[in-house]
Amino acid sequence: MRSKFELIFIGITIAITAIFFVVIGSMFLIPSFEGFINALFSEQLIFAISLTLTTSLIAASLVIICCIPMAYTLSRYEFPLKALFKIIIDLPMAFPEIVIGIALLMFLGSNGIGNYLDFLGIQLVFNSTGIIIAQFFVALPYAVRMLYSTFNYINPRYEFVSRSLGHSEVSTFLNITLPLSKNGLFATGVIALSRCIGTFASVLFVGGGILMKTDTLAVSMYLNLSTGDIDMAITAGILLVIISFITIAIMEKYAKENYIH
Amino acid sequence: MIILKIIKTLRVVSGFMYLEIENLSVQLGEFHLKDINLTIKEGEYLILIGPTGSGKSVLLETIIGFYAPDKGNIKLKGRNLNDIPPEERGIGIVYQDNTLFPNMNVYDNIAYGAKKKFSSEQIEKKIAEIAETMRIKHILHRNVTTLSGGEAQRTALARALIVEPKIILMDEPFSALDISTQAKLTSLIKEIGMKYKTTFLHVTHNFNDIWSLANRVGVMKDGKIHQLDTSINVFSRPENNFVADFVGVQNIFEGKIIEISLETAKIELNNKVIITSSDISYLSKISNENEDTEDFKDINKNTNRKDVNKSKVLIAIRPENIIFSNAKFESSAKNQLKGKISEILESGPTSLVNVDVDGCIFKGLLTKSSAEILEVKKGKEIYISFKSLNVSVIDKYGSFNSDIKKE
Repeated sequence: MRSKFELIFIGITIAITAIFFVVIGSMFLIPSFEGFINALFSEQLIFAISLTLTTSLIAASLVIICCIPMAYTLSRYEFPLKALFKIIIDLPMAFPEIVIGIALLMFLGSNGIGNYLDFLGIQLVFNSTGIIIAQFFVALPYAVRMLYSTFNYINPRYEFVSRSLGHSEVSTFLNITLPLSKNGLFATGVIALSRCIGTFASVLFVGGGILMKTDTLAVSMYLNLSTGDIDMAITAGILLVIISFITIAIMEKYAKENYIH
Repeated sequence: MIILKIIKTLRVVSGFMYLEIENLSVQLGEFHLKDINLTIKEGEYLILIGPTGSGKSVLLETIIGFYAPDKGNIKLKGRNLNDIPPEERGIGIVYQDNTLFPNMNVYDNIAYGAKKKFSSEQIEKKIAEIAETMRIKHILHRNVTTLSGGEAQRTALARALIVEPKIILMDEPFSALDISTQAKLTSLIKEIGMKYKTTFLHVTHNFNDIWSLANRVGVMKDGKIHQLDTSINVFSRPENNFVADFVGVQNIFEGKIIEISLETAKIELNNKVIITSSDISYLSKISNENEDTEDFKDINKNTNRKDVNKSKVLIAIRPENIIFSNAKFESSAKNQLKGKISEILESGPTSLVNVDVDGCIFKGLLTKSSAEILEVKKGKEIYISFKSLNVSVIDKYGSFNSDIKKE
């Protein structure tokens, strides 16, 4: 016999999840099947999918490479102003993504280091490099936070024991710490990739939102909405939902597997 | 000075002082170690006890090199370890919680450290040998997450032993195990100690470990070692009231020295006289320190006996050393006192009987059958006896003004 408390909580959960499902699902009802197929195989959307996946994979890889030492440092080592460093790293998660976009544009553009970069022949904004930079900055805080929790879960005594058995810090990190955090690392990778794919405002600003040049799926959805091409916009939206669903489902599956405490 | 240095060097060279810790201080958040001095001989089994948070684990992890000392030195076989990384110290560690690497099976866990030291043929041979000793031959290919507590700790010990460490540190290795597994592991560790001549530094909360394993015991509190001595001395002659209280010495009384002879001393306790024959030299010393005071009278110079200035002193008698009887009897026990039973606390097969002797509550242990024979009950008059040798003088550092346990 379930208690009233339990029933009310289950009821709230089911009701809100159902609303979520209907809201997301309603998008699938808008385009005609023909319109969806046409949009899906249009040159513009194929370009957007390929650009999104390429830039996201590169950005997510960079995120993983950078977040491993950062998360490990925050989890294991003490250094001056550590608390401040943690706040700065977490900050982009708290403010709107558009702020990151503007900040990056200011920094990389002619008001910042843009002129010097131009002098060196390096162009970092309004191209796919700009997209990767924007995705990197948006996804990194989430990845650091997640991997930080993973490392915190690993009892440092595993590392102590490894070192007492003659293994150096590097050897211990490679043979013990990383293998023990593989589930967390995988989940971090999936979340980072998902954030990179879904990033919109910062990519629009730094990439410039140029059709067939810097329009990722999210930007393409926005551009098509503003020009009234609903089929294209909704198809891009559906693709984003499907990609997100797959990433979350993969993560759920692996996150459930034995976590090491 | 030179002679002392030569003796010290000879001791180190001869292996007499195996591990030496000199004035070690470590500050680690709320934990701190203060001026720890400790020496362990080769092949010795030293046990550290103390309340939670006394710094025992921090001490172990500083010795192994996970924390850097703020002050002091750690020397192993005369070599200063302060700047040596943990992997080069040759010190093994076994923790209370299961720290077997979950990403490896039992065999790979044991082979993990050995790979850095031996060839693969040697490893195979060594694992076969150690698995036999540790009785884990049958589980070598098991996943470590499926092991029982005892199997896991035997594997952890095998993993630490196989790399032939100079010393093994153990941080409450049995505390997560059931009593029968603890007993089996204790005898296994004894066997290992004899077979491999291993030196152990073992932190525990279980006093049984001390009686079964330790050559010496260190008692820690607030980052300091309060007493470092043989097990018998720590339990029968605690050096201060903290140690006495911690190791469970229950009868602690404050008395006054009234007479000291060559072999015994008389201590006045609420108008009763208690005779002790332990720590006479210490009692003489504290009395002599007060010779200058006005009320000191040396009335019997020719008999080696002197009345002293009634220096205050703490004495302790362990409950198991108190004998009960319904009447006075002839005995070698110099102390026989009459009192009234004030309380009987039953605990398993024994009873803790409190006897009120002129306001001093003496606690003694009686088995159920002895209690029945003596017909003990609350309010009954009874005699208690104890040998003068079993009256320990504690608080040798003269700190008995603070939190004296008054009964």
